[in-house]
Amino acid sequence: MQIFIRTLILGIASGSIYALASTGLVLTYKTSGVLNFGYGALALFTTYIHYTLTISAGLPVWLSAVIVVVVVAPLIGIFLDAQLFRRIEGQPQVIGVIATVGLFVLFRGLVQLIWGGTSHSVPSLFPPGTVHLPGGTVIGKDQLGVLIVAVVAALGLGAMLRYTKMGVAFRAVVSNRQVAGLMGINTGFVSGLAWAIGCAFAALTGVLLTPILLLDPNYLPPFIIAFVLGAAIVGYMRSLPLAYAGGIFIGIAQAIFIQYIRSQGLLGRISDSLPFIMITLAVVFAPRALRLAGVGASFIVRTREIVGQASKNARATVGLTVFTLLALVPAALSLSWSNALLIGLTQGVVFLSLVILTGYSGQISLGHTAFMGIAGFAAAHAVQSWHVPIWIAIFIGGIAAVPAGNLIGFIAVRVHGLYLALMTLAFAFMVDSLFFQNPTISGGEGGIPLHRPGGFRGDRAFYYVVLGFLILFSIIAVNLRTGRTGRVLAAMRDSETASRSLGIAVTKYKVLIFGLSAFMAGVGGVLYGMILQQAGSRTYIPFLGLFFMTIAVVGGIFQVGGAIAGGILTGLYLKLADYWPFLNKIQLILFGLGATLALAQNPEGLFGELRRAGAAITRTMSRRSASPRERAPVPVAGGQE
Amino acid sequence: MTTLLAEGVTIRFGGLTAVDDATIEVPDGGFIGLIGPNGAGKTTLFNAIGGFIAPDRGRITFEGREITSIPASTRARLGIGRTFQKLELFGRMSVFDNLMVAAESAESRLDIVSDIMSLPRRHSEEARCARIAEDMLQSLDLDWARDRRAADLPIGHARILELGRALCMKPKLMLLDEPSSGLDSDETKAFGQLLKRVNEEMGVAILLVEHDMDLVMDVCKALYVLDFGRLIAHGTPKEIVKDPAVRAAYLGEEDDETAPAPAQR
Repeated sequence: MQIFIRTLILGIASGSIYALASTGLVLTYKTSGVLNFGYGALALFTTYIHYTLTISAGLPVWLSAVIVVVVVAPLIGIFLDAQLFRRIEGQPQVIGVIATVGLFVLFRGLVQLIWGGTSHSVPSLFPPGTVHLPGGTVIGKDQLGVLIVAVVAALGLGAMLRYTKMGVAFRAVVSNRQVAGLMGINTGFVSGLAWAIGCAFAALTGVLLTPILLLDPNYLPPFIIAFVLGAAIVGYMRSLPLAYAGGIFIGIAQAIFIQYIRSQGLLGRISDSLPFIMITLAVVFAPRALRLAGVGASFIVRTREIVGQASKNARATVGLTVFTLLALVPAALSLSWSNALLIGLTQGVVFLSLVILTGYSGQISLGHTAFMGIAGFAAAHAVQSWHVPIWIAIFIGGIAAVPAGNLIGFIAVRVHGLYLALMTLAFAFMVDSLFFQNPTISGGEGGIPLHRPGGFRGDRAFYYVVLGFLILFSIIAVNLRTGRTGRVLAAMRDSETASRSLGIAVTKYKVLIFGLSAFMAGVGGVLYGMILQQAGSRTYIPFLGLFFMTIAVVGGIFQVGGAIAGGILTGLYLKLADYWPFLNKIQLILFGLGATLALAQNPEGLFGELRRAGAAITRTMSRRSASPRERAPVPVAGGQE
Repeated sequence: MTTLLAEGVTIRFGGLTAVDDATIEVPDGGFIGLIGPNGAGKTTLFNAIGGFIAPDRGRITFEGREITSIPASTRARLGIGRTFQKLELFGRMSVFDNLMVAAESAESRLDIVSDIMSLPRRHSEEARCARIAEDMLQSLDLDWARDRRAADLPIGHARILELGRALCMKPKLMLLDEPSSGLDSDETKAFGQLLKRVNEEMGVAILLVEHDMDLVMDVCKALYVLDFGRLIAHGTPKEIVKDPAVRAAYLGEEDDETAPAPAQR
């Protein structure tokens, strides 16, 4: 019984940290409509500052914590609100998701740059020693301290919301932002304050957690975001008290799991996946109104004036030119060029799978590493165990990912936008911890060898294999968009209700497009493994999916050209990093920043800019060649009010 | 002959009975109006016929075939088209593509492999469906807007496009939900004339849910009146105007005017 009570108190102590964190997350979500996927990385970044202030600058631990939580973190929050979140206000939630994924990548990159990515243990705020509770239970003073701080912070927030004038404004904005604005509440100030508090809570979470866990750039952010989202989903991110309760619940469940089911096997891995299982269940069984409300299936963004498609000939000419130039690279340039582009183009294959899914059909997936990994390991095992020819194994890999894609597509009929993003992210983490971290599947330390096809073993030769797939998939993607299926996908993106009323089987098409996207991502995953010549437990980490999403957005998520631009961009970047190794360190920062800026400024990304430039050049040239009199008159549209 | 028959349809939301034992018949080539005050349950009944809500009781048949519990997309393929009170155009697609999606949904026998491989079959099927869409553009006088984004159309043209999109599927029955909302009186009149043409020239039966009494009286051959979920009257527009129960439902009973509290029904 004493063990049980101790476990319970331990659970409540760690649970109160999760509760605190999820309260911060829900607060910003409710005031600004943006669910911050960068929350964990923010906690990481601020905790590194805390670490530097105490260990390097020698400040007392308490003082440093106060500076970080009360001054530094709120300033970051206010800055982010003013510079980023205000700009994407009113956009679909999917945009907010990608923007905060960009933040995740950005802050993770900053930590890499400044602190070099080594992990540290952070001193505790509380004295060592234990406390004897009545009834004979013994717990550490640090656990008691964590519990007290977390409860006080939450109560403080609650009191502020309940009893102050500011709190009333807050609650008004939370319940209806527009109406609150009309009532004369400064909603901008409120959302700035909300982000300040949210970031302060993120920092406090990091400061309280890292004496227990390590301050580790790879481990901490996914850990925090997992538990925080798992807790927040309990109230469907609508209710602060429920988010708090969710945190406590997860903490207790985790403590009980660790205490009573210490298994290292599948059960142990399930315990890692606990928050993700909660997210999946919560999302799939969410009430209909929540799953669909305010989210919408559509991905309509404020695009600038260029709409409409290039003519078929123009498209073919540009495509042919670009692919010819790419084909000349291994012959004309040094090996380092073709190696850099090899990586870029392989990622381009994955970006294509995101373009057909997000750009064409308006659905989001943050879990594409799951498809890549399933395919990679399937191909590797097919070759190693069954001696399947390598060419066929590439396709076996792609096909192996299809059922997983179909499954997500089937769920996507019920779940849209933000919740779909959550679901797919949870899926990637679950597949990773249940399967990819399983040595029988991923081959333990050394991974499983994944050889390149015979005759294409060398880097230059293999480059053509990748380019071949990129061209093949580009053609398929263009055909997809310009044909019947593409029109149906666009129709479903704009209005599912109307699509149904026209006899379109929405479920069938969602299952189909997710399957096709999974196939392309899968082939991309196999090729990605072949670059490294092996598939291992670290090859397909879920973080990669977030990173790829940001590059795909920087390149341009709406069109095939964007995926190729993203691939070439990555290749060029890697090549430049050969000259200036410094670039390697800031790659995450640049792409993270790029994705958030692209969304705030120009959702069509690099490819959109290129097209605009191309259109301007064509206009100038045709103006020169045609004398003013010969120019066709602008047709005047009739019948417009 | 009967195109649509909804018999004894009852729909409840929790404790509220939105539609109570309603029976509606749309004869072949009929032009039927469904009217009633706000909250009478018109749209709810309408959604049950379209397949967007499942009725708790009752039976719906279309051309003699029971359709009570089949999905909306299947009903559409059987020949039931519809428009929405809150416009549901494919906003980011061109006007032409809006029509094309519908034409292809009804007519194209293209399989997905031929489509994404762009086999010759795709081009013949596309050309065939494009003709349907082009013809519809012509007959609706929307050629000028062919390549515009549907979201950029003014609401009057948007309503016409939504109707045309449903017509591209060559439906036998059109369900129209408050097509006059957002239109001024001239536009409403023109839309009414268009509906008459659809009904008479194309032989499409129409079930119209509408607020605008002028429009309904002008175009409908028969009316059903719903009030608090119940059918209270059925007849030609002329009969309905004189019906005392209808007058009471719309204008309130005389003694309501002076009663201190709203009368309980």
